[in-house]
Amino acid sequence: MGTLTVAALDGEGALDPDDPAWGTVTATEVPLVPVPFDAQLNAYVRAAWTGREYGCSGPVDLTLAEQGDRLLARLSWDGSADPLGEFSDAVALFFPPAAGTAPPVTIGTRDEPVSLWLWRDRLPVQQALPSATQLVAAGPGVFRPGSANAGVSARSSRSGRRWTVVLAGPRQALAARRVGVALWDGSNDERAGIGAVSAAWTEVES
Amino acid sequence: MSAQATTSGDGNDAIEDRGEGVAPPGQVTMVFDLNKCMGCQTCSVACKVLWTREEGEDHQWWMSVNTQPGLGAPKGWEGMGGGWQDGQPVRGHQPSREEFGGGWDFNYQEVLYGGTGNATHLRPVDHGDGTTRWGMNWDEDQGGGEYPNSYYFYLPRLCNHCTHPVCVSACPSGAMYKRHEDGVVLRDESVCQGARFCMEACPYKKIYFNYARNVAQHCILCFPRLEVGVAPACARQCPGRLVFVGSAEDAESPIHKLVHDWEVALPLHPEFGTGPNVFYVPPLAPSRLHEDFSIDEETPRIPPEYLESLFGPKVHAALATLQGELARVRAGGQSELLETLIVYRWTDLFGRYTTDPATLDRTPDRVPVRLGRTSGSTAAS
Ligand code: SF4
Ligand code: SF4
Repeated sequence: MGTLTVAALDGEGALDPDDPAWGTVTATEVPLVPVPFDAQLNAYVRAAWTGREYGCSGPVDLTLAEQGDRLLARLSWDGSADPLGEFSDAVALFFPPAAGTAPPVTIGTRDEPVSLWLWRDRLPVQQALPSATQLVAAGPGVFRPGSANAGVSARSSRSGRRWTVVLAGPRQALAARRVGVALWDGSNDERAGIGAVSAAWTEVES
Repeated sequence: MSAQATTSGDGNDAIEDRGEGVAPPGQVTMVFDLNKCMGCQTCSVACKVLWTREEGEDHQWWMSVNTQPGLGAPKGWEGMGGGWQDGQPVRGHQPSREEFGGGWDFNYQEVLYGGTGNATHLRPVDHGDGTTRWGMNWDEDQGGGEYPNSYYFYLPRLCNHCTHPVCVSACPSGAMYKRHEDGVVLRDESVCQGARFCMEACPYKKIYFNYARNVAQHCILCFPRLEVGVAPACARQCPGRLVFVGSAEDAESPIHKLVHDWEVALPLHPEFGTGPNVFYVPPLAPSRLHEDFSIDEETPRIPPEYLESLFGPKVHAALATLQGELARVRAGGQSELLETLIVYRWTDLFGRYTTDPATLDRTPDRVPVRLGRTSGSTAAS
């Protein structure tokens, strides 16, 4: 389990994944594992994914920074070779409730749902959709819309297979001082509860 | 056919009751008499102009009429899996945009304004994504059999608003549900995350994906019309007057008689296990011709085994009943079944959904379109 320090980052450009300011902060490597098959709550999903490999992408290089009451998270990983098929590459940062004790691998539980900031690569016809959304996750794929005005946004860049995404949202999401990461390889039809997730919480200190 | 009696083990345990496995007493049911369908697609167009004219819906035909035999739409849908077997959901294929086809752009600019109108003709523009190689009734009038015994018939298809809707069970986010009051299967698009497990799981492949909005979409059985007593647009607009709407539980309704009493209305592919609430009166066909063109009275032109592959083994008894009633009338007798299928009065088709939409108050704040999932009635004031 790593411990991550939230850096203070000045400058207007920090939402830009390629902003040089990010080069001054050291990233932490977050290893990922497949969301456990046995934890999949949906009978159809289990039927459809029996014997199929998923969740093999990662690790994710994670950097956290703050700007006033905003939290910025820069996530970088090797994405699909062939993005923008039926399903898109996606990444999420998620936050347990303040007193949360459940491990992150199920991406929330019914009793301890997590707040999830989701970035998803958008097709050319999807450019009018928001760059990121906040969801409430209560288990693998049990994702419901969160607050419509959660103030979560994202910017992304891609170089070769390497995605770099900056997610931004309210700093208070870090109340429990730990974060989890989830990743979906769109070219492998990964979405909802079928993806990769951090096996342990990353503890955060300011 | 496997019945899913409860929600336990289906879908997510974590999600509230979504009406799975329950055929509510007010389940809206439809019967299509295929002997009267002429393939005019008025039903398809009635639906199209009402519900799927927004961005991302150009290729969507919640109601579509396929010519049989054929691969249908999406291309080869009957072999794409999904449904239930032995109480378990079956893995299915998510139809691609190419397999649906359609939703084409046309070269209007070139033909109308390009100065080459005499030399070119109107055609779909090929964007290289394969969508111009298939469409909602691509195999129209291809049919089956060999001359002089060729045959074809039309099969109108929409979501079956199934009693055991595997699409609802397959949705991990809980966006889909079956309404308790009338059994309509709906999706809360504000909850849908675009995961498309519903599309894979539906064995009838009647769910479409709106790429522009990242949500799945399907027939809503015109529920805002039903709520004010108006029949769905496909049924009301059908010039063949062959689409019955109502309750199969009302013993006096023609639907009850067709489905339960005479057993001449059958679900499509009952082996898929979802318990469709759309039924079909199977098509009779002219007799075959011998090689010398004399009539072979004994052999129907549409192979019974083909109809069995669509409607299950009960199709033989249904066809025999229809033939028997026809013979009775030809012999000068009376047939309540045939009287029912002839539909002398148009409104007899629609059960309690006979309200003329032209008589409704269309003031915007009086239009009772309800998108939430609460039950309780929403009556026009
Ligand atoms: S036809 Fe398909 S989409 Fe409609 S209720 Fe049945 S399973 Fe669901
Ligand atoms: S409108 Fe009626 S006759 Fe025309 S295709 Fe549809 S069901 Fe058949």
